[in-house]
Amino acid sequence: MAHRSFKLSRLSIPVLGLFWLAVTTLPFLFVVFTSMKTLQETYTNPVWALPESFSLDNYIRVIEGSYLTYLRNSAFVITISVILIVIVSSMAAYALARLKFRFNTALFGLIVAGMIVPLHVTLVPVYLMTRAMGLYDTLFALIGPYVATSLPVSIFILTEFMRQVPRELEEAALLDGCGPFKIFAKIFFPLSTPGISTVAIYNGIMLWNEFVFAYVLTSSPETRTLPLAVWEFQGQYAADIPTILAVVTLSTLPLIIVYAIGQERIVNGMMAGSLKG
Amino acid sequence: MTSITLNNVEKSFGKVTVLHDIDLMIEDGEFCVFLGPSGCGKSTLLRMIAGIETVTSGDLRIGGERMNDVLPSERRVAMVFQNYALYPHMSVYENMAFGLKQAKTPKDEIAKRVQIAAKTLQIEPLLERRPKELSGGQRQRVAIGRAIVRQPAVFLFDEPLSNLDAALRVHMRTEIANLHRDFPHASMIYVTHDQTEAMALADKIVLLRSGEDVLTKGSIAQSGSPLELYHRPKNRFVAGFLGSPSMNFLPVTLVNANTEGATVRLASGEIIDVPVDARTLSAGAPLTLGVRPEHMVPAPPGTDTQVIRKVVHSIENFGEHSYLYLSDTPDEPCIAKVADDVLETAEGPVAFRVRPSACHLFDANGDALPYLADATSRTFA
Ligand SMILES: Nc1ncnc2c1ncn2[C@@H]1O[C@H](COP(=O)(O)OP(=O)(O)OP(=O)(O)O)[C@@H](O)[C@H]1O
Ligand SMILES: [Mg+2]
Repeated sequence: MAHRSFKLSRLSIPVLGLFWLAVTTLPFLFVVFTSMKTLQETYTNPVWALPESFSLDNYIRVIEGSYLTYLRNSAFVITISVILIVIVSSMAAYALARLKFRFNTALFGLIVAGMIVPLHVTLVPVYLMTRAMGLYDTLFALIGPYVATSLPVSIFILTEFMRQVPRELEEAALLDGCGPFKIFAKIFFPLSTPGISTVAIYNGIMLWNEFVFAYVLTSSPETRTLPLAVWEFQGQYAADIPTILAVVTLSTLPLIIVYAIGQERIVNGMMAGSLKG
Repeated sequence: MTSITLNNVEKSFGKVTVLHDIDLMIEDGEFCVFLGPSGCGKSTLLRMIAGIETVTSGDLRIGGERMNDVLPSERRVAMVFQNYALYPHMSVYENMAFGLKQAKTPKDEIAKRVQIAAKTLQIEPLLERRPKELSGGQRQRVAIGRAIVRQPAVFLFDEPLSNLDAALRVHMRTEIANLHRDFPHASMIYVTHDQTEAMALADKIVLLRSGEDVLTKGSIAQSGSPLELYHRPKNRFVAGFLGSPSMNFLPVTLVNANTEGATVRLASGEIIDVPVDARTLSAGAPLTLGVRPEHMVPAPPGTDTQVIRKVVHSIENFGEHSYLYLSDTPDEPCIAKVADDVLETAEGPVAFRVRPSACHLFDANGDALPYLADATSRTFA
């Protein structure tokens, strides 16, 4: 019995894998190929045809437009947000995992409960607060909500991670002359790197694609991030599908690169959390 | 000055008192072993001295200085943990240097001390490795090295050998004894529940008890040299804890007592002399006679005095010695440990001779009656 199911899975896993690969990459290939066509081609040739020449003209046009501003904005907002998320969530996780204080468990419960608050419920209050603080339509408008909405899940992941650090290490560090802050910085933070990379990459990807807050809290092209670029270009290039798809490709590319470099860490981090937790 | 003094020390977790009424003096350079059954608070006591655990009440002094509220890193102690507690993300060198770095020791001084310690422990080739690339014994050495480089006044070991296999354990035990020889001025406190380790290493054994007696009699059942505890136990708990197999306990009644000793009668009628002072008790008082299995010697035929007669129920031969099981009730085991192979025994009761000086008497309270002969002047003929 076990033998048969083993054989079955040996066959079915690659087949399923190939199928899934097709499902996920075909649309992307379609986007990339179409982005290299001329507008003329999209009318005359069949939709699935390869481009007549692999031209980068659309890309050049997009890059010469305001694309780089959007890219810079996204990079800025996401870098600062992710750094803040990592610092705040790892410190909070250490405190929740190891420091003894009243209401520790209650506080942890409250933070985890934050994961189930639907984002869109907070949209109007956040908009009003941003206005009141005078941050509306600046890049800094996005950082606050981005960090805040990412914290619950990040703290949850990292707390689980830090709970697994053996207590003796903490005690050895105490004998070696570390206070709570140094124990965090020299022992807990470095030992949680798999979890921290997971948190950084996962949130980076989520925020890179974030649309709603960016749409509500900014209005001028100088302060908008990449997900809004598609939106803006649609207006600008009307029905120029190849150019819009060039924008889409350019926005996805950084993510694909980051994921290619970091995917092993993400998977390891998630596995470590789930297996031991 | 590396002596450690505990005065009336107490430890409770919430309402539960774990350690009670601890008075203890560990001299400069002494090797002291905390021994006791699981859960009696050995680790807790050690961690209180280290400063990882607070002292609920009482005084803790190291080198005469009160340490109750001093930071662990400023107590001049170094600890070796049972599971080594090496920092997994640091190399062996960094592990050993970490404490010195925190203390802002100059770099070349750190390098020098780590090199010397690594050489002593023969871990020089491993300095660049990570802990997970080391074997259990090597990790243990690194953990000891981390303690050595700090040049502590007191070394604290919490069951450092219990994760090693039997052969390595014996080897590392010698190394720890050597460590004590190499650092004659540092005191060492060593926690174990292995009495062989305790007997082999200790200058002084502190035997802790657990259970209800802790609150009435205090946590320390007895402290003293290994042989003192072995030959002159102060109570039934100490007598029964040390030695393997455990001491045999037989109910007796007092026949008479004088300055020479006491005479008692077993339930089966045999008369035994014991050189203890029982003059405060009246004849007929119920007592417990204690005799170690190795002191039950098969008597030559015709011996009538100082013998205990028992039926042999079963035999275990180990080659180097044999166990004769003399009791059919598992709750009150009675064993004789004899040097020869025993292939068959007589049908009826067998006579075992017991030397008076190898006998102990305990009163109804479990306390040993005071011995008349001095432990150190004792002849082991
Ligand atoms: N942090 C704590 N909170 C509550 N009770 C504790 C705590 N630490 C230890 N205890 C209790 O204190 C008692 C002594 O524990 P300790 O670890 O010192 O025993 P031990 O003698 O070292 O035992 P072992 O030989 O099993 O290591 C145990 O009953 C334990 O349950
Ligand atoms: Mg212990």
